[in-house]
This record gives sequence, structure tokens and C-alpha cells, in this order.
Amino acid sequence: MAEAMQPAAAIGSQNLPKLSVERAQKSFRQGNGSEISAIVDLSFSVASGEYVAIVGPTGAGKSVLLDCLLGLKYLDAGQIRVDGLPVENFVRENEGHITRIFQEDRLLPWLSAIDNAAFGLQIQGVGRVERRAQAARWLDAVGLSDFKDALPRELSGGMRQRVNIARAFAPNPELVLLDEAFSALDDVTASRLRQDFKTLAQSQQTTFLIVTHSIDEAIFLANRILVFGAPARLMTEIAVPTRAWEDRAVSDRIKDEVRALLVAGARRN
Amino acid sequence: MSRGSGDAAAMVMISDVPHDAAPAAPRRGRSLLSRTFRAVLPFLIIAALWQVASMFTKPFLFPGLGSIAKSLWTILTTWDLLSQGLVTWLRLLVAVAASLVIGIPIGLAMGLSPTCDEFLRPVVKFIMGVPALNWVIIVIIWFSTTELRIGFVLIVLCTPVTIFCIYDGVRSIDRKLTDMVLAFGANPLQHVGLLMWPYVQASAFTAAKLNVANAVRTVIVAELVGAPLGIGKELDLAKNVFDMPTVLAWTIFLVGMALVMTHGIEYAERKMLRWRGESHGRI
Repeated sequence: MAEAMQPAAAIGSQNLPKLSVERAQKSFRQGNGSEISAIVDLSFSVASGEYVAIVGPTGAGKSVLLDCLLGLKYLDAGQIRVDGLPVENFVRENEGHITRIFQEDRLLPWLSAIDNAAFGLQIQGVGRVERRAQAARWLDAVGLSDFKDALPRELSGGMRQRVNIARAFAPNPELVLLDEAFSALDDVTASRLRQDFKTLAQSQQTTFLIVTHSIDEAIFLANRILVFGAPARLMTEIAVPTRAWEDRAVSDRIKDEVRALLVAGARRN
Repeated sequence: MSRGSGDAAAMVMISDVPHDAAPAAPRRGRSLLSRTFRAVLPFLIIAALWQVASMFTKPFLFPGLGSIAKSLWTILTTWDLLSQGLVTWLRLLVAVAASLVIGIPIGLAMGLSPTCDEFLRPVVKFIMGVPALNWVIIVIIWFSTTELRIGFVLIVLCTPVTIFCIYDGVRSIDRKLTDMVLAFGANPLQHVGLLMWPYVQASAFTAAKLNVANAVRTVIVAELVGAPLGIGKELDLAKNVFDMPTVLAWTIFLVGMALVMTHGIEYAERKMLRWRGESHGRI
């Protein structure tokens, strides 16, 4: 699916965006009473079916933005819309249509792999037999068909992250948020999981917002990269051409461009 | 990240061998027999010293092991006596169960709601600070029914322990798991049922074990004050005639009862909390 996608600029101009963030502002009060900005006048949009990566330095408010996208935190000003609806309304009316793949697996230790994978469906009120059948399909898809009844403590870090991915896909979400999803893994496992994830993602009619520190990961997974400064503000966006990952010259050029922006953003802060 | 490669299934086969799947049983340095002997040895030494003391003192001070064993046998084989023990056992069971039924929702509420916490914590702390004997005196004035008196004393002493165990359990829930559950859109009921309750079950088992010990220590005090049935009444009768072997036999019976209850709780704990596996704190 990613291969067949149109360039970012063209996607951005299509109809109603899947996700739009409009002049978002968010700050937190610190213990000493002073305020610290997490998101400053942030605006961007993501088209349906698009793969957008957000790259930014630590403390750029990326995770805060994801919390706001799930309706777990509220903006001080501005608006987040999903399918044109304010995100709080969308989340309330479409439970499980936005899911998140966390940096750490965050599996419930008392549930087997299959029940963890079925967790989102359980929240949606799907019956046990149906949700387990659906979860089993996703565990098969992530290569864990032989470990359905294993408890998280019986699985390796990579396997647990696969369950985490299966859990995010099982409710058939419209928007999947990846929160540094592969950064807690060793390079080899992370690389394999990224590849598997991409294969899985391409079989879905889903929109992906990928928060990552890794420029390589952004180029590998996304069709568009949003470069954030700290606190979260959009410095620029870069379209990733189809097959950029296979073309070293193109990927190196994007990497250099993103790196230069991140350094410039860091200097400004 | 490998450029252009894509056989996901094949890669799965290569990677991800569970790092701690089916861990080998830890090697024990000593055999079961040796460990049992080491556990029993201190009791054998005490029994021997006791037996020696019984030879040089009056029987009501240090009765011989034989007479204690005989009294214990009489208790176990005489229904009238055994039933007194079972009455006390039943009171303990009801008190421990009731303290869980009352304490778990209060502990959950305190853990979940800062308002509940602020409102209830001082009250629970105050109740916890009242000595058992004070409660016994209070219930004698308040209630005329013996069972109500004993039940109230046991429950009022056990419930705060449950409340604080559950409260601490809620507070120790990993914030990241809470975020995960909320990110999937869990409502408050699902939050409690799918995350909090499974998480605090371990605390409930701890509370139950603490309360068995707590209730065993308290029940006799409560029964001594006018209970027509129970071990307390039997101890009162034995005390009146300086029947030390019977007093000690009932004491052994009580401790045995507490051990059986604790083992029962631990068995249920192992079954229900199988997911925890072996302790990670052990060396």
C-alpha cells in the first residue's frame, strides 16, 4: 500500500483529512509554579491511509501529542480533529478506532498472549470467542501462532512487542499511533519487527502516525516526515519518495536534511 | 534494519527465542530431608528442654509432653471438644472473609479517589490504633448477642489491614498500564475490572494471610469474655482448674488451625496468581 501511495503534497490536498491538528497549544505547570510548554502553535494534517512520521528531539512533546490524540489529555488551545470530529467526540463514539503501539509492550502480565492481543476488542465489548478468534489471526500474522497461551513473562522482548502490535491491529483501527514502538529493542530485533510491521500495515486500510527518534525508521516506514522542534512545533515536513529506503542517495539526502533541522532546532532551544 | 529484505515469517523463526521460557528449576543445595530436619530441629530442642523442665517442676507449670499429647488427642477425638474448635474456626473464616468483602471496595475507593482517600484514611488509621481489648469492652456495652460481639471485634480489627493492603496495591499499579488501558478507551468499570482487580488480587491474598494471624490472636480475647462456645470458653475452663496440658493442647490446635488456613490461602494464591511465577527477589 505504501508503495502505491501518492506524494505527500497530493495526499494533503485530498478531501477531509483523517487527522488534523490545528494551532494546538499545551503547557504544564511545574512544581515551582512556572509553566512549561509542551506544544506550541502546532498544525498539521494526515490524509486517510497515509504513513506520517514525527521526528523530534527528546522532550519535544511528542508523547503529549499522542495522549491528546487519544483524548487522554486536553489541549489548552487549538483543536484536534479526526474525520472532522473533535478527537474527544471521535474517541467517545468510536472506541478502539485509534490504537497505540507503545514503546514498552505494556502487556497485562496475568493475560496470555492471545488475551492481551484481544484486549482492545474486550474493551469494545466483543464476545470472548469472537475476540479470541480475531486475536489469534493477528498473532498468526505477527508470527506467534505457537505462543498464543504463553504468559508475557514467558516471551522474549521481541515477542512481547509483536503481541503489542497484534493488540493494536486487532480492533481494526482507523488510526494507529506508534510511540517509539521499536526503540526499546536491540537493533536486529527492531529491524525485523519494522519489516514485519510494514508488511502487516500495508495489508490494512489504516492511517499511521509514527513517532520516532530514528530517522532511518521514519524513512523506512513513512511517506512523509514531520520534523518537530522542542517544545512540539512543526519545523518542516519532508515528503519521502516511494522506494526512498532502497535508494541510498535519496535516503542519505533526507537523513542529512532532517539532521540539520534537528540540530538547528536544538540550537534554537 | 535490512534494506529491501522482507520474508517476515522466516525472520520470526530466526529471532525471538523466549529468554526465560521454561526456566530450569533452581538447584537446591540441600535435600528435602535435610531441609525438613533443619526446620523441625528448633522445635525438637524446645520440646526436649520442656520435657526436662517438666521433670523438675510442678505439672501445672511445665506438664510433660505425654500429657499435652494426651489432651490434644482428647480434643481431636471428642466431638464436644472438637466442635468448640470448629466454632472458633468458623468465626475466623467469617471474619477474614467479611474483612475482605468490606475492605476491598473501601481500599479500591481510597486508591482511586483522592477525596475518598482524604476522607477515609484518618478514620481507618484511628480504628487501627484502638487496641483489641478496648473493642471487647466497647462491644460488651454495645451488643447483647455474643456472636455479634465477637464478629464485630474481629471484623473491626481485620478490615483496616485489608483496606491498607488494597490501597497500597492500587497505588503500586504501573502508571503505564493504566495509560494503556485508558488508551484503549476503557470505561471506569472496565478499568477496575480488567486492570485494578487483577492487580490488587495479590494484595488481597496478603491481607487475608495477615488477617488470619490477626484474627487468631484476637478471637480468644473476644471469646474469653462470655462466649458460651469456642476455644476461648474451653481455655477459660482449663484456666480455672490450672489444667495446663489442656491450655497447651488448645494452643497447639489454634496454631495448627492458623497454619491450615494460611496454607489454604497460599494454595489459592498460587493457583490464581500463577502468572507471577517465581519470586524475582530471591537469590
